[in-house]
Amino acid sequence: MKSLSQEWYTPQEIVTLRLWLAIAVVVNLLLSTIEWIRDDHLALQLSLIATFALGVVWLVLPDGEHAWKRDVALGKSGLVLVIGILHFSASRQMWIDIWSFIWLIVPAALCLLWLSSPVISAWSKGTITTQYAEWGLSRNKVMRPKLGVIGSHIILIHAVTIVLVPVFWILDVAMSPGNILGGDLGVSDWTGEHFSKILERDSSFWIWMRNSLVVSLGTTMMGLLLAVPAAYAFSRFKFSGRQASMFAFLLVQMFPGIIILVPYFMVMKSLGLLNSSLGLILAYSVTALPLCVWMLKGFFDTVPRELEEAALLDGCNQFQVFWKIILPLSLPAVAVTALFSFLAAWNEYLLALTFNTSNDMYTLPVGLASLISSTGAAWGDFAAASLLVSIPVVILFIVFQKFLIQGLSAGSVKG
Amino acid sequence: MVEVNFESVSKRFEDGFTAVKNLNLQIRDGEFLVLLGPSGCGKSTTLRMLAGLEDVSAGSIYIGEAKVNDLPPGARGLGMVFQSYALYPHMTIAENLSFGLRMVKDETRLPDGEIVKRVQEIAKLMELGDQLDKKPKQLSGGQRQRVALGRALIRRPQVLLMDEPLSNLDAELRHQMREEIRRIHDTLGTTTVYVTHDQIEAMTLADRIAILNHGELQQHGAPLDVYNQPANDFVRGFLCKHIDEIVDTANNLFPKE
Repeated sequence: MKSLSQEWYTPQEIVTLRLWLAIAVVVNLLLSTIEWIRDDHLALQLSLIATFALGVVWLVLPDGEHAWKRDVALGKSGLVLVIGILHFSASRQMWIDIWSFIWLIVPAALCLLWLSSPVISAWSKGTITTQYAEWGLSRNKVMRPKLGVIGSHIILIHAVTIVLVPVFWILDVAMSPGNILGGDLGVSDWTGEHFSKILERDSSFWIWMRNSLVVSLGTTMMGLLLAVPAAYAFSRFKFSGRQASMFAFLLVQMFPGIIILVPYFMVMKSLGLLNSSLGLILAYSVTALPLCVWMLKGFFDTVPRELEEAALLDGCNQFQVFWKIILPLSLPAVAVTALFSFLAAWNEYLLALTFNTSNDMYTLPVGLASLISSTGAAWGDFAAASLLVSIPVVILFIVFQKFLIQGLSAGSVKG
Repeated sequence: MVEVNFESVSKRFEDGFTAVKNLNLQIRDGEFLVLLGPSGCGKSTTLRMLAGLEDVSAGSIYIGEAKVNDLPPGARGLGMVFQSYALYPHMTIAENLSFGLRMVKDETRLPDGEIVKRVQEIAKLMELGDQLDKKPKQLSGGQRQRVALGRALIRRPQVLLMDEPLSNLDAELRHQMREEIRRIHDTLGTTTVYVTHDQIEAMTLADRIAILNHGELQQHGAPLDVYNQPANDFVRGFLCKHIDEIVDTANNLFPKE
């Protein structure tokens, strides 16, 4: 009869291996598709054999009863290690090969290391005492957070890499001489020629930047001026058509933006607002309005009504209540809303392209796209400009970061 | 100091619910009146009509000589303490206290120096002297309660309104604040209307109790008079029996020799 501790004790190494070997098998299967795409039969076979062996190791991980399992697992891990090295030396040894190599080698090496350790070998024979199991449980408790931290970092590093690789790629294109797309990643021959070209005094970039700033800031102001009072009214007052207009706001969100393109164009044309910043500001503010109103309303709803009543008794009129109590309390939400409308306007392409026909009125997205024309694609300039365009957004996000978290986790106002 | 008069006051909400039916009640000058009743009896609605936070459907409310039915809340010369305190979270305690004074824009506005003096004065009365620069978040429940009371009192209101002000406090603090509220009332002599569902609070605080049920005034009078001569079964059940039960429990817990 096993004691409770004996029954519950599994060394943390085994628990970790059970999880991560499974992950490694899946990752390696995915990675072997690279060899398949490359049509490299030898490498594909090696990779599949190694993955299979890794799967076998996972299946025969020691269970604390059958001592033979450990020996098989040890042997198979050695096999994976050897094939992994073979596979790598047969490959082109690019960074993606290094990456897939690591995903084979590290799990196999860890298996070898851990399975041969005295703690695991004692446990896998199934003859440990209750005291030993108790010691093992307390050892697990120390190990678990450490291994957890390593594991979560592995996942995070992968996530960060996936996000950053395209950015780095653009950086590489922007820093490489000549206007070519692709080629090898490399720092050796980097140059700043594209940046200096874009940032030249008489470059169109500055015109686009000015237009974009005017339009985005204008949209933000206009959007807030419309959205804040509207949201407050929706949140606090009862009036006929309230439900209907709230629903209408949602409804217009459900249509793809392209539907409004032609009507907008007609309206702007008859108003004489084509090729003007004001036209874009109006269009963007209206498009951003539903989202802004709903977000702000959600936040206003969380501000306790008693605060307003207290202010009323303190002698405020309805506008003062709004201005002195509600608005200061809602600053995080207002900031987030402002950020959203700014970003929407900053990144918008389709309307800006349709409304503006002259280079003098282009916003940054349209201007950037004009670098890639049918007559010649200036990829280097394009990449450099895209990086420059994202800088203001990055700065905005850094500045508003604190507000963002507060604003998105609404209900943070408590008396 | 003033009297408050409810004359045939009714409140009917838009959904047809009648919260207060034909209420006639006189609150005397300097009196501490407690509106007592179970939840949903219309006591809070009565208070909110007096404060101007709800419209009066029928009848008239007088504060002193003035009919206040259609006056905005800020013009009625009231101070109010809310159940949730309703302190302005983005202002310091000093700003919370002085907000009402600073909102006055006509010639009756006090000079800034006077406002500061008033804040000091009220902070002293409420024992908040060293909390003035803090934000409400940094205060304990009892301290927030004092700030709320101080904010209501700083404009020297003609009538002080309190809507279940103690229900968010623990038993110990509640007891303490109860005595404090009574002490401040005795010091300032402000006409006070106090809403509660707690019979003990009503009995210990009130000069006079007005008991409501289903929007109708059941009985009003001095606490002991009401207790000794309940006007109907509801008062007997809600007040007398409840008090008796508490007394019995206490007696059983601590049997006399």
